[in-house]
Amino acid sequence: MLEKIKNNFNTQTWVLIPIAIAINIAVGQIVVLLKLPVYLDSIGTVLVAVLCGPWAGALAGALTNIIWGLAIDPNALPWWPVAFFIGYMAGRMAEWGFFKSWWKVVVTGFVVALTAAIVSTPIAVYIYGGITASGSSFITAYLLETGRGIWQAVFSTNFLVEPVDKITTAMISFAIILGLPKRTIGGYPKPEQVEVEGGADKNQMYIAIGVVVLLVLFAAFLLRNVLGG
Amino acid sequence: MRERLSFHIKRDSALHRLNPLTKLLLVLALILSAFLTPFYWTPHILAILVIPILSVIGRVGREYLSTAFRLILPAATFLFLMQAFFHPIGKEIIFAFYFLDMTLESLMFAFGNAMRIVVMVSAFTIFLLTTHPSELMSDLSRRGLPGQFAYVIISTLQILPQVQAKAQTIISAQRSRGLETEGGFFKRAGALIPLIGPLVFGSLVEVEERAIAIEARGFTSKHVKTSLHEIPDTPTDIFLRWFLTTLIAASIGLKLWLS
Repeated sequence: MLEKIKNNFNTQTWVLIPIAIAINIAVGQIVVLLKLPVYLDSIGTVLVAVLCGPWAGALAGALTNIIWGLAIDPNALPWWPVAFFIGYMAGRMAEWGFFKSWWKVVVTGFVVALTAAIVSTPIAVYIYGGITASGSSFITAYLLETGRGIWQAVFSTNFLVEPVDKITTAMISFAIILGLPKRTIGGYPKPEQVEVEGGADKNQMYIAIGVVVLLVLFAAFLLRNVLGG
Repeated sequence: MRERLSFHIKRDSALHRLNPLTKLLLVLALILSAFLTPFYWTPHILAILVIPILSVIGRVGREYLSTAFRLILPAATFLFLMQAFFHPIGKEIIFAFYFLDMTLESLMFAFGNAMRIVVMVSAFTIFLLTTHPSELMSDLSRRGLPGQFAYVIISTLQILPQVQAKAQTIISAQRSRGLETEGGFFKRAGALIPLIGPLVFGSLVEVEERAIAIEARGFTSKHVKTSLHEIPDTPTDIFLRWFLTTLIAASIGLKLWLS
């Protein structure tokens, strides 16, 4: 166990983590500037997770929230377990070979989203009483108002919001890895996890983007049904 | 984007002089007693009385107030309103507006909950205002936290402003080349890749260079490293830590006993 954790960390991992945290925060702020309906604040975490392993990813995720809380906004602190499990799950999926082609990356994104939705539900319920200070809470509030239980309301909201965000995050991380020189990747603990299968096919990428667009439409459809019905 | 990357205010006060670990334990005690208490009014007393008094002791009263108004109150107010209107408990409606309705129970629930969040966030704010991050890190590594963790936290706090400045430069550069960052959804989504691509690649290039640099300075060396700054740990600190540990144990015990 301890050996398995240790092999995630070499000097390059320790140097990558601060840079990944800075990337998380800076990209999160660019997305706010562009007013896009996603967060994309875990690209750095996913990069650490797939290049170095699940434990390094988990550490990068947790520290992102802790430093975000320390330096910018203390409201980010209670959510560190969510970021921890995002990093851990992304690393595990990469270990199982799910970071080698576009469709596998979409699967990874979905699994990570599910994990994030599951982990953030108890935090939202126990610490915030279900309704948090984020915009998606209006959906939760509506579901509560129409008689859903608190757990169901919070989880449905998370499940509606997370997949689009996390699949996009995973795809952008994959695009970044495709763009990195092999020599750079070789310095990290797990370069074999991101060896692309059968070349990065452009068509596959378009299909993956299509899947995301369909998912957005599906979420919008669900949302309209829930709010309208 | 903020120019200063830590809340810390350099002053001389009783709170500043305390050992970082003592202050961390104080924060933990405040948060746990707010969340575990069986009495409804505990978080309110902590938020309205105890924490402002602490901020005065730490001579950071004005900075605390400004942070409270900028970061803590807006979030807490939003939380309070949402929960007061939407939490489905209680029967007797005391206030109604279209489909929004508020019961006495949901009002009390929302108020208590918002106050707990205020206690949690403001306890951390007081801690951050009176403790320099590197002080905390050197104290914790002296107590056995691996040096790598201290490196990650401290160097992130240094790298973050650089990366944010780099992001600003890239945004300006791409805009001057005609990239549209406003307008329709697809235009804005399309601007994402030209903005984050250069930022991420530009930052990742540094990794190898930095790794070689810190390796050359004995980063992975197993020898005990000496520190230039001594962080004081007085008998008062030790007494306070015992006291706070007892308080934490008592609040957990009370919670278990009553439930």
